[in-house]
Amino acid sequence: MRASIVARRTPLIKFLGKRVFPAADHSPRVHSQDPHGSLPSSFVQYRLNAQQHGPLSASSSAGSRRITGSIAPAPGEFFSRNDLPPRYRYAPLDELEMEAVNSGGAF
Amino acid sequence: MLKTFAGSSKASMRVAHSNGVRAAVLYRQTVLAGQFRRGMATESEELDLVVIGAGPGGYVAAIKAAQLGLKTACIDKRGPPGGTCLNVGCIPSKALLNNSHLYHEILHDTKKRGIEVGDVKLNFEQFMKAKDDAVTGLTRGIETLFKQNKVDYYKGTGKFLNAHEIEVTGNEGERSGVLKAKNIIIATGSEATPFPGVTIDEKKIVTSTGAIALEKVPEKMVIIGGGIIGLELGSVWSRLGSQVTVVEYMNAIGGAGMDAEFSKNIQRSLAKQGLKFKLGTKVLAADPSGDGVAVKVESAKGGKEETLDADVVLVAIGRRPYTEGLGLENVELDVDERGRVVIDQEYRTKYPHIRVIGDVTFGVMLAHKAEEEGIAAVEYIKNGHGHVNYGVIPSVMYTHPEVAWVGMTEEQVKEKGIAYNVGKFPFAANSRAKTNLDTEGWVKFISDKETDRILGIHIMGPNAGEMIAEGALAIEYGASSEDIARTCHAHPTLSEAFKEAAMATYGKAIHF
Repeated sequence: MRASIVARRTPLIKFLGKRVFPAADHSPRVHSQDPHGSLPSSFVQYRLNAQQHGPLSASSSAGSRRITGSIAPAPGEFFSRNDLPPRYRYAPLDELEMEAVNSGGAF
Repeated sequence: MLKTFAGSSKASMRVAHSNGVRAAVLYRQTVLAGQFRRGMATESEELDLVVIGAGPGGYVAAIKAAQLGLKTACIDKRGPPGGTCLNVGCIPSKALLNNSHLYHEILHDTKKRGIEVGDVKLNFEQFMKAKDDAVTGLTRGIETLFKQNKVDYYKGTGKFLNAHEIEVTGNEGERSGVLKAKNIIIATGSEATPFPGVTIDEKKIVTSTGAIALEKVPEKMVIIGGGIIGLELGSVWSRLGSQVTVVEYMNAIGGAGMDAEFSKNIQRSLAKQGLKFKLGTKVLAADPSGDGVAVKVESAKGGKEETLDADVVLVAIGRRPYTEGLGLENVELDVDERGRVVIDQEYRTKYPHIRVIGDVTFGVMLAHKAEEEGIAAVEYIKNGHGHVNYGVIPSVMYTHPEVAWVGMTEEQVKEKGIAYNVGKFPFAANSRAKTNLDTEGWVKFISDKETDRILGIHIMGPNAGEMIAEGALAIEYGASSEDIARTCHAHPTLSEAFKEAAMATYGKAIHF
């Protein structure tokens, strides 16, 4: 009788195995140990202002947030290098470089 | 945007460039190197991560980052890595606690064990050297780990120039420079909180830093603050012969996290060892102008003033975040009213690439909590996820007997209105404790009445600090008290008391 009770018992502890992490929402939230209950406005402001390929995060404060779509070009369309900011373009060649190119490096 | 025909443009581009491109590359790499640089990004010079602070949080984060393939540097102004914990905190105090316990045992506890000892003397110089040797060995060990893991360690002060650049001012004879990093972790730790109106000189009025480096055993010592640091260091000097008086504003010792039942019992135990306690008492002033220090106190509720004489006063009222010289003003990071740098759930400041861990931000100020955060912060950087369970951070007070706990106290469970079971088992009924003639204390389990899931575990007794690890594991994995009770524990060990307390929680213990 006792043995059958033990055999039927299911431990509360579970075997978790190798951890798998589902895609998470990385938008800033209050740290669990933060007693203040809210983040300073600077967190949202920084992310709204820091435009790279769109806002840094899908913040919950969508009020003033600019929604930007995908930057990928449509099929058959390509970006022109001239559309890019100057820092992404080839730097202008100077005379010495032109000479090096034209002479195949024999100067 | 252009509409083009894919394929044709690529071919023509290749023809146009051919040899010329190769020549230009060669030209740029050789002739132009250093002379005609055109302000291109120098990616190779940028580090993946700079960690400021080489304490338990910082050095663990740096090593973990290097292990995950991040090009990492770590900066610490103290020089030897390890932070407060290794240099002036956990480690040296444990050396003093262990050796003072042995000394005290030899003096007072050998006869009943059948050991006759001769004239026992304290070699104070060697006593302190043993502590210093432990510290030196461990800090050197971290430097070796840095080298093995290719963490570039800078001994100097790190200061933010902007959100991506840290200026390192090297200590004497050490490297200086500016480090540019994609990610930065602030792990600058904490310092002892000063007591208002009491000037610390680290000789007569000391913090924990001074209390582990006294030049002789003080005849009388007053400790302001009955928390873990005060009680541990009070134990050390009491065992060596000081008359120790602990003054605590609250009506209990051990700090906020200690279960009230355990707080009362450890106080009784320490009082038996010779420590005196003045609870519910506030310190008004400490005057070091005489030979010693005159400490004025009165009841916290108000009442008659009293003056306590001391050779040394230890101020141990807590710790506060340390950010001095860090240049936070240059990046305008948010700091709360207690000096903690504000972070979100992934340890990020308002700058997503600047993270903060350990004592300098929210949560309990414990080395192992900082270590967990160090690993988690690096994993967030590398993989986008990290894990710290703040409900399962164990605490240990290394007095004798030790007191350790994890999870909720009985008071917290009551406050939350959770129906619960309690199971207890005394070390006096444990065979190994009996053979060791060390039977003070007990193990207490608190579990959910309905599910039997363990909510908190509290231990006062020999080796409680080691035993609590099993409790942390159990709570982390959501174990029930029955799960522990049905797990075989070796005989004869102290850990059987742990198992029997679990048995007592959902049923009955065998030996009590």
